[in-house]
Amino acid sequence: MPEQSPSNQTSLAMMQEPQEVVEETVTIEEDPGTPTSHVSVVTSDDGTTRRTETKVIKVVKTITRRTFQPVILIESKPSTPVPPSTPTPSETKPVTKMVKTVTTRTVRQVPLGPDGLPLPEGSSPLGSYTDSIDRRYMKNGERFITPQATSTLTRSYNNYSDSYNDTPDSQFRHYALHDGYGDVADNYGSLSRGVSYRPYRPYMPTGGYRPENSYTLPIRKDDYGHVAQPQVPMGSSTVDLNRSQPERFQPEPYGLEDDRRSLGPEDEEPYDLEPDYSTANRRTLPGRSIREPLRNGPRVRGYEDPIEAELIDERHPYIHGMYPAPLAQPERGSLASLDRMGGRRSPSIDSIRKDPRWRDPDLPEVIAMLGHPIDPVKSNAAAYLQHLCYENDKIKKDVRQLKGIPVLVGLLDHPKAEVHRKACGALRNISYGKDHDNKVAIKSCDGIPALIRLLRKTNDMEVRELITGTLWNLSSYEPLKMVIINHGLQTMTNEVIIPHSGWELEPNEDSKPRDAEWTTVFKNTSGCLRNVSSDGAEARRRLRECGGLVDALLHALQSAVGKKDMDNKSVENCVCIMRNLSYHVHKEVPGAEKFQDPSALQGPGSAGTQRKKKDDAGCFGGKKAKEEWFNQGRKNGEHDKNYDTLDLPKRTEPTKGFELLYQPEVVRLYLSLLTESQNYNTLEAAAGALQNLSAGQWTWSNYIRATVRKEKGLPILVELLRSDSDKVVRAVAIALRNLSIDHRNKDLIGSYAMRDLVSNLPSGQQRPAKNLDEDTVVAILNTIHEIITDSSENARSLITAQAIDKLVAINKTSQSARETKAAFHVLQTVWSYKELRNTLTKDGWNKTHFQPIATGTPKGSKSCKPGYDDTTLPLMEKNQGNRGCSAGDMIPMDELSPDGYSTIDQRDKDSKYKSSDGSSDLQEREPLKNDTNRKHYIRSNRPTVSLVDACDVKPQPVDSWV
Amino acid sequence: MSFMPGQPVSTVVQRIEIHKLRDGDNLILGFSIGGGIDQDPSQNLFSEDKTDKGIYVTRVSKGGPAEVAGLRMGDRIMQVNGWDMTMVTHDQARKKLTKKNEDVVRLLVTRKTLEDAVRQSMMQH
Repeated sequence: MPEQSPSNQTSLAMMQEPQEVVEETVTIEEDPGTPTSHVSVVTSDDGTTRRTETKVIKVVKTITRRTFQPVILIESKPSTPVPPSTPTPSETKPVTKMVKTVTTRTVRQVPLGPDGLPLPEGSSPLGSYTDSIDRRYMKNGERFITPQATSTLTRSYNNYSDSYNDTPDSQFRHYALHDGYGDVADNYGSLSRGVSYRPYRPYMPTGGYRPENSYTLPIRKDDYGHVAQPQVPMGSSTVDLNRSQPERFQPEPYGLEDDRRSLGPEDEEPYDLEPDYSTANRRTLPGRSIREPLRNGPRVRGYEDPIEAELIDERHPYIHGMYPAPLAQPERGSLASLDRMGGRRSPSIDSIRKDPRWRDPDLPEVIAMLGHPIDPVKSNAAAYLQHLCYENDKIKKDVRQLKGIPVLVGLLDHPKAEVHRKACGALRNISYGKDHDNKVAIKSCDGIPALIRLLRKTNDMEVRELITGTLWNLSSYEPLKMVIINHGLQTMTNEVIIPHSGWELEPNEDSKPRDAEWTTVFKNTSGCLRNVSSDGAEARRRLRECGGLVDALLHALQSAVGKKDMDNKSVENCVCIMRNLSYHVHKEVPGAEKFQDPSALQGPGSAGTQRKKKDDAGCFGGKKAKEEWFNQGRKNGEHDKNYDTLDLPKRTEPTKGFELLYQPEVVRLYLSLLTESQNYNTLEAAAGALQNLSAGQWTWSNYIRATVRKEKGLPILVELLRSDSDKVVRAVAIALRNLSIDHRNKDLIGSYAMRDLVSNLPSGQQRPAKNLDEDTVVAILNTIHEIITDSSENARSLITAQAIDKLVAINKTSQSARETKAAFHVLQTVWSYKELRNTLTKDGWNKTHFQPIATGTPKGSKSCKPGYDDTTLPLMEKNQGNRGCSAGDMIPMDELSPDGYSTIDQRDKDSKYKSSDGSSDLQEREPLKNDTNRKHYIRSNRPTVSLVDACDVKPQPVDSWV
Repeated sequence: MSFMPGQPVSTVVQRIEIHKLRDGDNLILGFSIGGGIDQDPSQNLFSEDKTDKGIYVTRVSKGGPAEVAGLRMGDRIMQVNGWDMTMVTHDQARKKLTKKNEDVVRLLVTRKTLEDAVRQSMMQH
């Protein structure tokens, strides 16, 4: 019997990718909360400082937003309300706009521009740090135009230029704004202590100093570089500064130059000790498309930190290169570099024009900054990388080639939340896309265990979303699936699936059972598991045996059914995992052989009668059988007391773990999903699960087949044959085929489903309105074949349903060899019923119509690929000769070979990427939008199908002794 | 008497305290329940309103703790030890009644005869 293979079809298509709009909204919502924490951070007694901090908060918001826009994954364009993201250039524009808006707001609200470093939530006291910097600079004298505070400078440029332009004082002022360094406050604590901050007040601008246009970094300027580099003495104050600092800073953990260097890009040379930084910069620019103008100024601002500048030596020229030279002649270099950007005109160009002294860091610089000793620099660099990588395959590739990925992975273990969060965000964007090399690169530097480690460690929801999103992305690549299972299966289950599913190992009787929470984390994790669950028998085994996973998934689904919330992605993922894990249960679960139906080993005929007897007993057996169940139920204890409809094998203890997969109880769950869900993927998966469970010859599949009937599942399935979705029709058709192994089911399906099956068939070359796939048509034909085999009654209803016309037409004219062949097998079976021939001849058919068409024969034989033979279909052996081949046509869904799944995956991947070109894949999904209306329409038009056993119509009232 | 599930109900209730009978490992109350929000209410023999999905006492065993305590067939259970029983599944109700760590169950029940009695007494006045 064909089972639905564990393909991760749709989930692949849903592989995550940033989607701006949605996440933006979220971020905005988050904003209100942010300021509070940051405000509290202010330790300084100075009002100005406080204001600064508030402002920083705003900036943080901005950053967050930008960071997030790229972050959001999910490429599934059809299912989201948001228009599909466009190619990078256009897609970045809105981002910039957003930032602008925010920045403006910021400016209005806060007079003092901070350096714009994103503040970590609940950050540590910034005030002291800020003060200390200022103080230090004050102390040393006026001339401290260090590279820091760039963005602030930029922003404020327009405003302060009147009064302060080009004076060292004005530059100086910005140091006060460096409150973005909450993280490092400890390190600088010593600095602030003992230093009088008084002098810096006079420099604090109160009103005239409004930062604006913070989109760009300063362009490197000569004199700036001098300041940054001690060995190029510029002014006495600079020298002083450099001299005095080492003493202070030596104990601090900044002596990591070697590390940094090792992390840097390989081609350091161009950046090496170049006195003229703008030149150096330009030199590296050509051909570097990665050098985008900085659209999110605030994020990168932190790089220009005075302290950092002091610490930097010539070994890290590319870092030096970053330092802006606020005092350099703006006219020079900036515009030149603008030109060099070539066609890549980003929105921030405007701001560059306004303030030509700032520029963006280029990619090697950003990657180098990942190894910077100051944490905020790291996190900003990572955040900026995340932004750059958003839907930009070229940059992702460049990051990989510049060896940025191992650095990012290394940052995952960083203790500071801000750092590992941003690194994770960058990895998530990098991991997205069809370029599997990026995924492999993350794996090769042990990124998967690092992500899992972080997942175990962090409680930050956002970080967890990022981690699981990254894992979801990684899981779409076949070779990584097992790696993810090996490292992360149990952790993901314990950390995410179980808690969010609401399932409890030992439920407290007093508390209500918890409902599942459809969080993003859960969605991501279930998506990841969904992908890995398609990696063959071993993967399935691991997932089935993963403690609590199946229980939790089932609980989540039950809660979804209970709340009638069945259309979301998480439910879809859960059902798909269940479907995949149900595949081949009858062969793969431990102890399966105990349940093998002995009749399966016998000839088809005897198997049929035995089954029939058994099922009839189950359904119609009357009092005696019922009493037996009743008694058995009693013996089995409370658990089964209420279950008076089925003859279940004895259970000594409550079912748990993978056994839950194939308990007849799940039938009701899947049927509820099939009835209620509007999500085609969920429908397909639920039908696929029934298909898998009803395949095979073991005790449980017998029960499943009977239970579907008793739970009135057949009409539900038949109704879904009218679905607009090709894959739903296909899964349902195959499920019906497997269900009809049960003879009562076969009779019912033959009587009531035939019309709907036939209506899905094309009339010759003219396709029906639905234009179903070849696969689907073949599946339907094979189902029809199964139904009419051994049942002349059903063959008669086939004739009544006017199917012969269509079958003959397909047999004659179909372009598809597989369809031709399948139709021929049906015709052959019909003709084999001698009692029907009379009717057929009356209708004008004769023997030739039921023979393979002469021209069709070669087609047919070709279609029957040698690999697709009986062996893969567990039930095939009961069918005669020709049958196997026709059924084999469906095997692509089956386990043809260990790679059977990947074939499917591949197809899905292909179609997914095709879809961006607006090709066929989109067509198939288009109907999603009409889904709801369409379905209601169908439902209301549906004639009452009495596809249920009479004895099941009224469930017995449950009565429990207590 | 009609109920809106989840809404406060004003009705005539009787408190019944049942001391469970210990039989080996089992604690016995001596009655059976039917109904629940997951059950087909039309099959409830005791409800007046055939859409009522409440929990009803369907049988009371002779001489059992429930009978001793005064529980009667057809009683509608409103609460068990303070837990609402008007909007629970059959199984939830069963679990509330059969907790192993509780020897005493306090029920709040209502029954038709009670109401009739009250109505009659009111009419007399």
